[in-house]
Amino acid sequence: MQQAPAGQVAVVTEPEPTQNTLTIDRLKAYYINEHYGVKREIRAVDDISLVVRRNEIYGLAGESSSGKTSLIKTLAGAIRPPMRVIGGSVTFNFGDESVDVYRQPDRMRAARWRHLSYIMQGSMNVLNPVRRVKHSFRDFAQRHMDRHDFQQRLEAHLRRLQLDPGVLEAFPHQLSGGMRQRLAIALATICEPEFIVADEPTTALDVLVQQDVLALIKEVQQRLKSSVVFVTHDMSVHAAITDRLGIMYAGRLVEEGPTAQIFAQPQHPYTAHLIDSLPRIGDLRIRKSLPGRPPALFDPPSGCRFHPRCPLAIERCHWESPEMLPSKTNGRVACHRAGEAEVA
Amino acid sequence: MLKILRDLLRYNREFLAGAILLSIILVMVALSFVSPYDEGVMFAAAPDMPPSLEHWFGTTSRGQDVFWEMTGALRNTLAFGVLVAVISRMIALVVGMVSGYLGGKADQVIMAFNDTIGALPHIPILLLVYFVLRNQMSWVILAVVASLLGWSYDSRLIRSVALSLRHREFTRHAVFSGMRISQILIREHLPYVVPIIFFTAMNNLIWAIGLEVTLSILGFLDINRPSVGGMIYWANAHSAMVSGIWWWIAFPMIFVVMLFLGLFMLAMSINEYIDPRSRLARMGA
Repeated sequence: MQQAPAGQVAVVTEPEPTQNTLTIDRLKAYYINEHYGVKREIRAVDDISLVVRRNEIYGLAGESSSGKTSLIKTLAGAIRPPMRVIGGSVTFNFGDESVDVYRQPDRMRAARWRHLSYIMQGSMNVLNPVRRVKHSFRDFAQRHMDRHDFQQRLEAHLRRLQLDPGVLEAFPHQLSGGMRQRLAIALATICEPEFIVADEPTTALDVLVQQDVLALIKEVQQRLKSSVVFVTHDMSVHAAITDRLGIMYAGRLVEEGPTAQIFAQPQHPYTAHLIDSLPRIGDLRIRKSLPGRPPALFDPPSGCRFHPRCPLAIERCHWESPEMLPSKTNGRVACHRAGEAEVA
Repeated sequence: MLKILRDLLRYNREFLAGAILLSIILVMVALSFVSPYDEGVMFAAAPDMPPSLEHWFGTTSRGQDVFWEMTGALRNTLAFGVLVAVISRMIALVVGMVSGYLGGKADQVIMAFNDTIGALPHIPILLLVYFVLRNQMSWVILAVVASLLGWSYDSRLIRSVALSLRHREFTRHAVFSGMRISQILIREHLPYVVPIIFFTAMNNLIWAIGLEVTLSILGFLDINRPSVGGMIYWANAHSAMVSGIWWWIAFPMIFVVMLFLGLFMLAMSINEYIDPRSRLARMGA
């Protein structure tokens, strides 16, 4: 595989390299179940290190049960038993202060919503169904803001997101799915946080509303110059919105890099397959699916976790787990045969 | 508030009927404070008189005016019921919401205790308390004991709702945004639970009044303090039905039924108003 010609590399939003808003260092978080004396560890987040820079959208991709949601719950400090952090650290850097999520719970609590907000999976349902929308806004956001001009700021904020301030008087069931989704985004961005976690914010929406919501997130991100971690299994959404992309497989990060380069030259065979599975206009080829299923995370395969399904697997992959090493495409990749996969 | 009340009275027939029935009861209760007779004094009027202009509901064989006796009896019975309902509602609310929200082991321990309370037979325990505390017994103590026994069913109901609320997105959102447990329970979950509280309060009030009536019919409460059950106790003791003094038994029964019906209709219509979902269901949505 030769180096990509320079002209092919798309220009991404140039982040300020000195500023890492989020640093995750060798993070391990397992679901630990114990039933009738049988203990099972489900290794949903296993030894993941990554950084998210200021003013960028970092995408996380991977199939279901690859640990995407577990990872962002862990990094946002939103985990509950039976999930536990086994090792590693998560550190945020909000401009003037740095917060270690699991060693400084008080500072983390103070930073929530003010500096770090979360657009949840199924976020249409984040509004309390028996309370008016304005009460939800007050409960979630007012504590973090100036009380007396809250109402004006709230209305201005809603207008910017093309929502009529009249919706504040409504109950959630009186609004459409798209409106609730936009309200959830409004709720997550009203405090102008430095860091936004978005967990599949567009999954339940139809394509047109999806477009609007993506544009909205992009616009808010650019205005606030904040960092976004954007999770979805939909690779086309990643192509449309993210600056850098991390690919997860079976609780591990397998590849990371600038989105355009990952799409142009995937280094990991799994990434290559993900991208290969995307439909393209005019391409009538029948798409092959990978044989097998994602491994059970309580008993992952030895060596490289992808080797039972990998068409390029060699003897070494069975016993030696590959390290995340710098790749040819300005990113990192964990594969003994990095760069050898072909996209048809 | 006034406008809401006016609308409810105008558009909700159950509310209107309940309000009328309950206001009759409340007028009776208010009249008890201006009664011309001393409570518990016997032979203040001619005994065994049928209803007439002078004695609207007749008089008893003990020489008491049934109407004025009734006012005091309703006041005492209602006070007992309300006290029980208020205390046991608070216990049920706290236990149910905390248990449901915490879940897991804490929930198991709390619910084991809860079910133990629920399995205890109420009337024998109340009788036991009555015999042990015989000399210090007052209706307030009895009400407290009754409310300590009467919360467990409703706390289980509230817990089941809290258990489902705990896994809703808005709860996760609230936790994430840094709200404390107390804030989440009061601001986010309580509005969900309030209609249930109203409904169970009505049930509980009826249960408590029934308990009071049962105990006093059996003569286990202070029989010289007028109460609805106490009136029936005395009527039985004087074989009122046999001697044809029907008004002595009929009026207490009529008023107890009015009280129950009124409470039921009010609770139902208020519940419907508070809970927007049942309002929608009523509209056929």
